[in-house]
Amino acid sequence: MQVAPTSTSASIAIRYGGVSFSYESGEAPALDRVSLDVRRGERLGILGPNGGGKSTLLQLTLGLLRGYSGTIEVEGLAPVEAAKQRLIGYVPQRVEAELAFPITARHAASMAATAGLGPFARSSSASEKVERALSVVGATAFADRPVGQLSGGQMQRVMIARALASDAKILLLDEPTVGIDPAGQKQFAELIQRLHDELGLTTIVVSHDLRTVAATSDRVACLARSLHYHDSPEGLTPHVLAEVFRHDAAAIFGDLHVDAHRASECGHDHSHDHTHGPAHEHSHDHGNGSHGSDGTHGTHPKCGGGNS
Amino acid sequence: MKTIEYLSTPGLREIFLPGVIAGLAIALFGGVLSVFVVMKRMAFIGQGISHAAFGGIGVAYVLGFGAAAGAGASVLGGQFLIVFLFCLLAALQVGMLTGGDPGRRGKRAQADTAIGIVLVASMAIGSLLLHIAEKRGRVSTVSWESLLFGSIVSVSEADAWACVIVGALILLTLFVVRRPLTFWAFDESAAAAFGVNTRIMRVTLLVLLALATVTAMKLAGVVLATAMLVLPAAAAVQFSADARRVSVLSVVFALVGVAIGMVLSFEFDWPTGASIVLVLAAVFGIGWVRGQTWHRASAR
Repeated sequence: MQVAPTSTSASIAIRYGGVSFSYESGEAPALDRVSLDVRRGERLGILGPNGGGKSTLLQLTLGLLRGYSGTIEVEGLAPVEAAKQRLIGYVPQRVEAELAFPITARHAASMAATAGLGPFARSSSASEKVERALSVVGATAFADRPVGQLSGGQMQRVMIARALASDAKILLLDEPTVGIDPAGQKQFAELIQRLHDELGLTTIVVSHDLRTVAATSDRVACLARSLHYHDSPEGLTPHVLAEVFRHDAAAIFGDLHVDAHRASECGHDHSHDHTHGPAHEHSHDHGNGSHGSDGTHGTHPKCGGGNS
Repeated sequence: MKTIEYLSTPGLREIFLPGVIAGLAIALFGGVLSVFVVMKRMAFIGQGISHAAFGGIGVAYVLGFGAAAGAGASVLGGQFLIVFLFCLLAALQVGMLTGGDPGRRGKRAQADTAIGIVLVASMAIGSLLLHIAEKRGRVSTVSWESLLFGSIVSVSEADAWACVIVGALILLTLFVVRRPLTFWAFDESAAAAFGVNTRIMRVTLLVLLALATVTAMKLAGVVLATAMLVLPAAAAVQFSADARRVSVLSVVFALVGVAIGMVLSFEFDWPTGASIVLVLAAVFGIGWVRGQTWHRASAR
């Protein structure tokens, strides 16, 4: 995607410049020339089908995967360097370890903040931050419980608290609503809104679920190997989704009227499609209005503007 | 009480005291180390490492580093080094196979098989080489039972010192890396995303595991050494879900297990390693039964 004209590098949190990645050389790339600027303080959604490269992009951003071509800059730093400085607060989809792991929610929330402390530093030096983070996400009440006894939604709050306590200004959330009940999903969207409004955080929600992305984002990037669309959620029309999700679309958005033929049309004006998408329900949620200026930059892949 | 007699009578004391000191040292570092082994689910890897040690013992014996009674420090040192190198190689090999590199998906499933193969191949190499060493007259008779299951009387003063020094080294290292190591054990990819060098954490734990195994082997033998590095924490997690409390409980259980196990072995003339491991297993069993009934009660 082209850099928005008003953007200067000072206002960019993460910059992807023509990022490509293949797991095995000679194989079809998992990511193909993805370019995207994540602006400071915005709520970005990265929407895409399973296997579309979302988690690859996420792992590259966090410095967990290396060997990509193109550039990734997190606050001007390479991902591995950015990870060392804990610039990104990563909130995983689920914790890798079995939840039989013998720690309390409070201990789990403190790990990112204390990992960088020297061996002789007292962990109490970070405890104030941890308590504040637990309180912001509303996890104080169950902070003494073992992680194995937390619900999915509670665990997610603890993981967000862990990221907040590390002083990260960018939150990167992987499939945050998987395994969370509808009430919990609503609370989650409200929490993201609050973190954005009150703490001025940049939030990036990576998900295959349109509702999740629509409820938590001002701007959406659709990722299916390459970047397909890049605009406010209400611009996510059925034919854009059909293009991104291809055959998955009918399965995932069975209630949408997906017309594959229309996916091949070029259309910068998506307004006539608004009433068809569930994203429409959320079009009143946007706080900072940053999406409004982007409408004209959203380009359709078939129009050749998908990649810079 | 035979225990008091063994530890106070001159002549007997020199035979048994090193084993007791070694046992308590192993309990201390084993208790702490086992917390990480259990949390990171490395019990089976530990098993592979300790069996690799048997291959190392075979090589050491063939090269003339067989630890017969009254063997000099250079022989013991040489044996320790050779066995440690074997364990380390096995640890790194197996550890890297089970590594969490996201770019190497699918390799993880093979690790289980790999550990199983390392385990039996090392035992085969070890027994073959010990057989050869015996035939060549490098050792008078190999005490298979003592190599496999350990023996308190085979623990020399030098071995006891090795346990104390290695134990201090292990505890110091764990103290220094405890925070990133816990983070890594809990959530590997998140730890990496927050700047923890997960490769260093993995290698550190594997090296400590290899060191601990070699050190614990004289007392507990190849087969039972791993038990000292798994059971204390496995029992402790049955009683608490707080990492700090689990660590303390784990050390307490290890010390109690070693103490009671040794007293049992002295009083009833039972093998020491087996007695210790059975006491620890019993503590685990009690915790498990208690946990089961507690879970059932709380589920209602």
